[in-house]
Amino acid sequence: MRTSHAGLVALACALASIARAAVDPGSATAPQADFVPPAPGSYTLQRIQTCPDGVLLDATARTSRLSSHTTGKITLLTFFYTYCHDPWGCPFAYQTLTGLRERLLAEPELARRVRFVSVSFDPTHDTPAVLERYGSHLSDTRFEWRFLTARSVPELMPVLDGFGQDVSVVVDERGQPTRTVDHMLKLFLIDRHGIVREIYSLAFLQPQVMLNDIKTLALDESAGLAAIR
Amino acid sequence: MSMRSIVFCGVLIVAGAAVADETCNSPYMSKLIKGQEQFIHVWTLGVEGLGDGSDKLVTIDVDPKSKTYGKVIHRVSVGERGEAHHMGFTDDRKYLWAGGLDSSVIYVFDVGSDPAKPKLVRTISDLTATTGYVGPHTFYAMPGRMLIGNLSNAKTKDGVTGMAQYNNQGKLITKFDMPVGAVGGVKGDGYGYDIAINPAKNAMLTSSFAGWNNYMRDLGEVVGDPEAMKHFGGTMVMWDLKAMKPTKIFSVPGAPLEIRWSLNEGDNWAITAAALTSKLWLIKRDGEGTWQAKEVGTIGDPAKIPLPVDISISANGKGLWVNTFMDGTTHYFDLSNPEAPKETYTKVTGKQVNMVSQSWDGKRVYIASSLLAKWDKKGADDEQFLRAFNWDGKALTPAFEVDFTKEKLGRAHHMKFTARSSGQASLSVGSITLSDAH
Repeated sequence: MRTSHAGLVALACALASIARAAVDPGSATAPQADFVPPAPGSYTLQRIQTCPDGVLLDATARTSRLSSHTTGKITLLTFFYTYCHDPWGCPFAYQTLTGLRERLLAEPELARRVRFVSVSFDPTHDTPAVLERYGSHLSDTRFEWRFLTARSVPELMPVLDGFGQDVSVVVDERGQPTRTVDHMLKLFLIDRHGIVREIYSLAFLQPQVMLNDIKTLALDESAGLAAIR
Repeated sequence: MSMRSIVFCGVLIVAGAAVADETCNSPYMSKLIKGQEQFIHVWTLGVEGLGDGSDKLVTIDVDPKSKTYGKVIHRVSVGERGEAHHMGFTDDRKYLWAGGLDSSVIYVFDVGSDPAKPKLVRTISDLTATTGYVGPHTFYAMPGRMLIGNLSNAKTKDGVTGMAQYNNQGKLITKFDMPVGAVGGVKGDGYGYDIAINPAKNAMLTSSFAGWNNYMRDLGEVVGDPEAMKHFGGTMVMWDLKAMKPTKIFSVPGAPLEIRWSLNEGDNWAITAAALTSKLWLIKRDGEGTWQAKEVGTIGDPAKIPLPVDISISANGKGLWVNTFMDGTTHYFDLSNPEAPKETYTKVTGKQVNMVSQSWDGKRVYIASSLLAKWDKKGADDEQFLRAFNWDGKALTPAFEVDFTKEKLGRAHHMKFTARSSGQASLSVGSITLSDAH
């Protein structure tokens, strides 16, 4: 049977909405921030966990260890897929990250110490070529944003499990997988040593808080370097 | 053009997790159940000589369409008796953490793989050795982490305690002592109990109960000992959530227990019940934006010490169930004006009642009997059950009951709901199949 791409996506979305009727995927509204966040450096970001490692592919199809993308800079990492349509999923994370990128670019010294990493849930569709088209314009000499995928789901799974990133595929009424990946939106703030220092889910995805957290890590690192010197 | 449809994995599981007293869950929780819950998991205290005598997680089928509706369909014994008490889901709802108030052991059950058949997958036995805290009580999900409110400490076993934060892999991250100094003009007692977070306000509230010396002692002895009665919490604490620092201490006499933020959009308040004074307290910002706590209502006749215990707020923040343990009564309060709650309905639902959980739609209410092994009533009054009711806005109508003594299970305590997420397949290790449709 021949089906148009748009038709398939629409069908998947319709089936997804049916499948989700009983279980709410999360907040239906944008996160609110009715407070003034504590100042950078006035609080401690806990050492939550060590980043898991694994072999991934970058947008030029080169293989590399994930650890090479999560160390050396303050990193914000998230999982996504390029064709996600959930308004409170990947598109919202993308909007948040692009906005945060702009705020970081206003502070070039800080921006050079930060990178974003987006890892696809779907190595089958999100090939290096797709990622290149999707995100190459977001990374330049001023700011580093890496888009990664995997060679296969089995190679991706340990990374997802290691981060505690839940994910499932929405199936249609016949039990067949659709093109909708159900996942809890999470962003991981990682220090330059590869330690996760904060995790943001939708209720906590507040750009000013995230910026302050990045500055807090930068201050920690500066203080650490000063102590070494 | 050929179209690709993606088959992600070889193992398809029409399963997932979701819950029922949804309104008391952490705001970081995913996959709220807003329809019919399918299972209730009851964290059950073992009773010597009854069944295997161990604490256990009991799973009951609560889907009215099921052939096993109202029946116990699964039980996981942990092989010891340690005063099973409360539980909490991880943020992804895949795991249920449960604690023993006497043993201070934490158990982690996998309820995501198959909610009908939870599995014990991790035991954490070094809470006291690593933190000095005793009595893990409240399990509150944060992104990738579990914040645990404790009740006591190993040194004095009174109520001075703190919160322990673990990552979801079960590793201790850090701990936070409850404040004992003055903050905002009120001196902290250092006691702990419940945790409730409002992310939009960067606000975390904690309450205070009692230490091991009291909760592991016969209730009659405690009440009859004036010195012991001095060792109950009388404070709540507002924390800067991001900084995890106390910003204000409120004087709330009489052991303020469960805390519930209104989930109604635009609301800006939380409510709690003080057990010993039988009062409802409201925590709300005043006209100047400062958090204040004030007494707003009475539960039953305080002179008779009905002992309000668990509460359950409706999803729209307009109603509140309150159980009073001593008289076995379930109360409903109209919270349309949270400054002046009005009791509109009461029903005796057992000889002793503790936990109360309502479905998200408010149509079903579940009651469990046990408070603490040494505080439960004696003899024929020591009923142990889970009772389900339907609520039409006017009256509670019995739906089914499980007799936990007859079933040789133990003392029924905390309840959590799950449901299979239909229309989900796991993205697990398997194969990716690209099927081309031409």
